[in-house]
Amino acid sequence: MKKKVLSIMLCLALTASAVGCGSGGSEDNGEKPEEAELNILMSFPQYMEQWEGYCRQFEEKMLEEENIKVKVNLEMPSSDQYDSVLQTRLTGDDAPDLFTIHANNIAKYTEAGYLADLTGSEGVSKVYDDVKKTVMVDEKVMAVPIESTAWGVVYNKEMFEDAGIELPETLDDLRQVCEKLKAKGYTPFMLAFQEQWVPQLMTALTLGGLVSGEKTDWLDRMYEDQGSYEEVKEIFDVIDLIMENGTDRAMEEGAEMGAADFANGKAAMYVNGFSTATMMETNPDLQIGMFPLPVNDNEECTKINLSTSTVLGVYEGGEQKELAMKFADYVLDDEDSSQLFQDCGFNPIAPCHDYETTPWVQEAYKYVEEGRSYQDLVLPSAVTDEQGKLLQELYVGNVTVDDIIPRLDQAFQEANKLAQ
Amino acid sequence: MKYKRNGNVSLLLFTLPALAVYIIFKLYPAVSGIFYSLTNWNGLSREYDFVGMENFVELLTDTYFWDSLKFTTLYVIALLLVANAAALILAVAVESVKKGKGVFRTIFCLPNMISMIIGGYMWQFIFYKVFYYMADNFGWKFLDKSWAGDSKYAFLSIVIVAAWGCIGYLMIIYMAGLQGVPAHLLEAAALDGANGWQKFWNVTFPMIRPALTICIFWTLNSAFQVFDVIYSLTGGGPGRSTQSVAINIYEEAFQGNIRYGYATAKSTVLFLIIFVITAVQLKIMQKKEEEL
Repeated sequence: MKKKVLSIMLCLALTASAVGCGSGGSEDNGEKPEEAELNILMSFPQYMEQWEGYCRQFEEKMLEEENIKVKVNLEMPSSDQYDSVLQTRLTGDDAPDLFTIHANNIAKYTEAGYLADLTGSEGVSKVYDDVKKTVMVDEKVMAVPIESTAWGVVYNKEMFEDAGIELPETLDDLRQVCEKLKAKGYTPFMLAFQEQWVPQLMTALTLGGLVSGEKTDWLDRMYEDQGSYEEVKEIFDVIDLIMENGTDRAMEEGAEMGAADFANGKAAMYVNGFSTATMMETNPDLQIGMFPLPVNDNEECTKINLSTSTVLGVYEGGEQKELAMKFADYVLDDEDSSQLFQDCGFNPIAPCHDYETTPWVQEAYKYVEEGRSYQDLVLPSAVTDEQGKLLQELYVGNVTVDDIIPRLDQAFQEANKLAQ
Repeated sequence: MKYKRNGNVSLLLFTLPALAVYIIFKLYPAVSGIFYSLTNWNGLSREYDFVGMENFVELLTDTYFWDSLKFTTLYVIALLLVANAAALILAVAVESVKKGKGVFRTIFCLPNMISMIIGGYMWQFIFYKVFYYMADNFGWKFLDKSWAGDSKYAFLSIVIVAAWGCIGYLMIIYMAGLQGVPAHLLEAAALDGANGWQKFWNVTFPMIRPALTICIFWTLNSAFQVFDVIYSLTGGGPGRSTQSVAINIYEEAFQGNIRYGYATAKSTVLFLIIFVITAVQLKIMQKKEEEL
């Protein structure tokens, strides 16, 4: 019996001493650097390598300048599950010090008290004003914008030249473009509808163009339960045109597969500004450009969609909040961030990003310089999802446009009700 | 007497780790789920209100939920018939093989070792690439169907993949049952002049009733909760036409409006449905077994 007690005591003593070792190191403040750990959760596993490298640079910088030995733990769950992972971590008292979210959700996370106020911090002060607006809630900057994308129709320049086509400005022009392409034996549009967010882009672009050019108060009224999709029904003229002139088997084609097929010349246009990296990887000789999607015969509505998708937020209640703020600043570092943004293929969002962008991005940003762009509309995410689902069903013929309109109105009203 | 009580205590101690795991990972989430179903928690904020039965009342008129339940029921029936029939046929076939029984058993059981998420993506490639390749190049036009776009074929593809995944498991149970059929009964039946089918239907089949009970129970239970196959194969699309209850719950909890409380109400209802159906099934089948 005595032996047993003794052995238990020994075990306990051993454990206690081990725990002591763990915490003892950092208290030594003389020449030894302070130790700290930073947990970061991000939603783009495709750029894992670039961000891993950037985190190592941050560790070095902190050790050099602040004498802090930082250990950055970077986690990148797949984007499908990202939201549920983040939600679980936040509510389960296991919150990361920094995390990415979609710009559309900033208000929701701010309200829940998870985002630290970044107004006036060094990093975000550099961001272009137009982009900064997309990460503000009640005049406060709540996140660091990372991905800012131009959306429109990506087109194959060689095919357009071959068919002698000028870029379309109106819906009628777009109809003629389709005819000319078909006359040359090209399929006009690449359709890849397997994932709901791809068909959803068509509503995002058409609604955005229409609201910025003509029906400027439509979205505000939708949020007050005063509007209806009936008023913007004309967006389905373009959507029908795209669906009628597209490739076969769209439901069996994922977004990335579609990008690869587009790069291999299966179609001349693709409504997707996102998968260009895949296109260039599949076919490095591919010449692509981008033009805004016409909605109707009013050129005022034909504009490029500028949106901020992924942003980085600092967790409000984190133990390492100060350090996390430093990382947030470092994401827009004058010296290092330009290389990171270029490596990931992100568009420049601050003057310190002085790298040369790809020709198609330059083409898209020409519209932006001419003032022919608008900020992506912020719809409730339930409505965005519903649009994607219904467009899939419209494509396969399960529903008609007349079925869709009341269902979208209903989804919007439900989202309004729940937001109150 | 004293010794016996001590024995009980030590037995209890042995079950303690398993019990703790069960309580922490099964019982607690289940009970807390029922609790959240009475709230309007959005899965994110630190505060929520108690709303009583409001979520359940709303559920009554939620057409998307009832559509998904209808779809799930159809799926359960299809899988119940297809998977069990195929597994039983395979089990009988493999049992009757003289040599290499182990090899066949391993081969048929292999798909069961693969996670259905991965299986789903593998089959996606087969349906959306290989089938079309064969249709375009070999002239096998019967494969040229819209496997993800047409709800009928999407349903068919889901059942095929799900059956492919679970047949091996069911087959093993049926094989265990078949091995327990006494040889002398079969011999006696043969002496009485019974042919192969009569021997199977009148001797073997009644003797493997317990295996049938287990297999039907397992299929019912797992098919009602189906998520992974559909998630990876069609994502519930086109639109919502192949959405199972579990996918509907997932979307409610993590996408769109993010209504965690409402989603847990849905899962509570799903739990009750599965509970009642499997309880009835077990009762009926056990009664049948006793009659024999």
